[in-house]
Amino acid sequence: MTDAQNKADQQSRNISRTIGILAVVTFAMLGLGFASKPLYDTFCRVTGYGGTTRVADTNENLVSDRVIEVRFDSNVTNGLPWTFKPNQLSMDVQVGANNLTFYKVTNLANYPVIATSNYNLTPIKAAPYFSKLECFCFTEQRLEPGESAELPVVFFIDNQILDDPRLDDIKTVTLSYTFFPVDEKA
Amino acid sequence: MASLYPAADGHHDDGKPAFFRRWFYSTNHKDIGTMYLWFGMLSGLIGGGLSFMMRLELGEPGIQFFTNYHTYNVFVSMHGLIMIFFMVMPALIGGFGNWFVPLMIGAPDMAFPRMNNLSFWLLPVALVLLMTSFFVPGAGADNGFGGGWVMYPPLSTTGHSGPAFDLIIMGLLAAGFSSIFGAINFITTILNMRAPGMTMHKMPLFAWSVLVTAFLLLLALPVLAAALFMLFFDRNAGTGFFNPAMGGDPEMFQHLFWFFGHPEVYIMILPAFGIISHVVSTFSRKPIFGYLGMAYAMVSIGVVGFVVWAHHMYTVGMDVDLKLYFMVATLVIAVPTGIKIFSWLATMWGGSITFAIPMLWAIAFIFLFVIGGVTGVVLAMPAVDVVLHDTYYVVAHFHYVLSMGAVFGIFCGFYYWFGKIFGVMYNKVLAHIHFWLFFIGVNLIFFPQHFLGLNGMPRRYVDYPVEFTFFNQLSTFGALVTLAGTAAFFIMLIEAFIIRRPAEDNYWGEGATTLEWTLPSPPPYHQFNTLPRIK
Repeated sequence: MTDAQNKADQQSRNISRTIGILAVVTFAMLGLGFASKPLYDTFCRVTGYGGTTRVADTNENLVSDRVIEVRFDSNVTNGLPWTFKPNQLSMDVQVGANNLTFYKVTNLANYPVIATSNYNLTPIKAAPYFSKLECFCFTEQRLEPGESAELPVVFFIDNQILDDPRLDDIKTVTLSYTFFPVDEKA
Repeated sequence: MASLYPAADGHHDDGKPAFFRRWFYSTNHKDIGTMYLWFGMLSGLIGGGLSFMMRLELGEPGIQFFTNYHTYNVFVSMHGLIMIFFMVMPALIGGFGNWFVPLMIGAPDMAFPRMNNLSFWLLPVALVLLMTSFFVPGAGADNGFGGGWVMYPPLSTTGHSGPAFDLIIMGLLAAGFSSIFGAINFITTILNMRAPGMTMHKMPLFAWSVLVTAFLLLLALPVLAAALFMLFFDRNAGTGFFNPAMGGDPEMFQHLFWFFGHPEVYIMILPAFGIISHVVSTFSRKPIFGYLGMAYAMVSIGVVGFVVWAHHMYTVGMDVDLKLYFMVATLVIAVPTGIKIFSWLATMWGGSITFAIPMLWAIAFIFLFVIGGVTGVVLAMPAVDVVLHDTYYVVAHFHYVLSMGAVFGIFCGFYYWFGKIFGVMYNKVLAHIHFWLFFIGVNLIFFPQHFLGLNGMPRRYVDYPVEFTFFNQLSTFGALVTLAGTAAFFIMLIEAFIIRRPAEDNYWGEGATTLEWTLPSPPPYHQFNTLPRIK
């Protein structure tokens, strides 16, 4: 083989390797685009970013003297024939203590409806310290025609909030829920 | 001038196929580049026509032409999509990139000539899909998609139930894959097919700019494709990626979109940076000041461009700390951009400057891009942005960097390489008329929009209160001047092709030092059969 042929062979091998790498990069970015959905979800749950509250199994905090007002907000999306109201609009909560509150929900339709709620806590920076032991938002709710239900939330504010100077200005937090119908087709 | 390279003289049969085979089956980088340029010009006319209609509508308060308000929003959306995907990108990357990257690095052609053909021919298909969407139902009974080029759900999912937006998704996927194939082609060519002696650090800056751009395309466009696929599934397959009722999040689309969208703005401006570098150096008769700094400034703009995307989303309700990060990261981009601006000025400093037509476009580019860049720094501040978000201030900002940055870069390259591409020279008087009308026109359109924005006039509305009349009239008058400039451009083109003044090999003289100037004008159908050696 001549020198020129050798060089041409070497070049075509290099070209094949380059396009191989670039194709992998392209598919990796495409995959990452789709993976962003579960990644985004997991990221928010783990870090409490964007107002995602925590889920806890037990509360091992000592009760502290600091009191924070928790306000309760409720929303129903367009087209869901439910009323949804907190039994009390706000409560003063001692940091570290367990608390129980109820929301009341009524199905106004003459057919059974299944719905589920999503949730959010503002100010966003307080969300990592807000933990729920029990919440109706963990599961789907089914209401028969005209049926009402009292939905419980058991929550506490983590003691670690006392150690974070960024949260020293927090006197009030708002816990918000929005009910959406569960689409049977999906 | 006789060519240095015997095989490049074209003294044997140059092997041009007949018309249909030559253009439709084309695998020649120069022919494909030419087709990209004509295609960009056609799309520019369509996109420009849409914006002209918008300006006519906004010339007076009240409704002039758009009795269906949705149609106005369709025009806004399609103007953005067509100008970005079908005018700027094909002209800068497909057109000049295909033409001059192989010539500048001393390669006979692109690495994958057939894939190059596929890249080009996907674009007309995509444009037809987009144009069809004008005429099929979009939102309710109204035709077309009016959700803006950003396509945010839920307006683009439940808000546009008709098939118009599905056609746009298909079209953008076709255009996106066209660009991905093009990017793979450019990277492979530049990394593997440089002439002997052409090391990366001797490579002309335009080739550098296309290399960085191609990497941005390769990393950003698949993410857009993923986001478009998810929109399509949400619309047609009952998934809920962006639907909060099903556990999705519409904000995630904005993150995905801008993860693509922010690099996209650098994709549109970096090749123009490359062109400006060559033009400034040629007409100052000096090598470019700080070559390595210029090359790595583009690399760092590309890298940092991937971590600043959420500055487009300050108003979604982001955490203050997150805004702080995105603000600082965004401001950092001003540093490499400043390196580029000052290096161009330093190249001109002490140079023997001739104010030829391409140089006028280049100087205008630098001047206007700085204005657009400065308003960009203003908008990077979250506190200021909350006030200016979605006002005409933003419109003025991004048209100063695109309509005057990228487009001036395109015209700059077009006049610089006109003789090289077509083998004929343009009429200087007509080119002057085109430049001055265009320069005055676009400034008249967009400078008053800063004041409209600061006074609180929102984007994307068909009408406005009478307080805003004066600046809007000024802006619409500017659109008329720009239209006259565009007419001058086409008169210039037609005149050049009728008179056919032949272009010399190197008609710019000693300042033009890159390899394309060693070839005849136009270059032979196949060049560099014997590879040039760079010392």
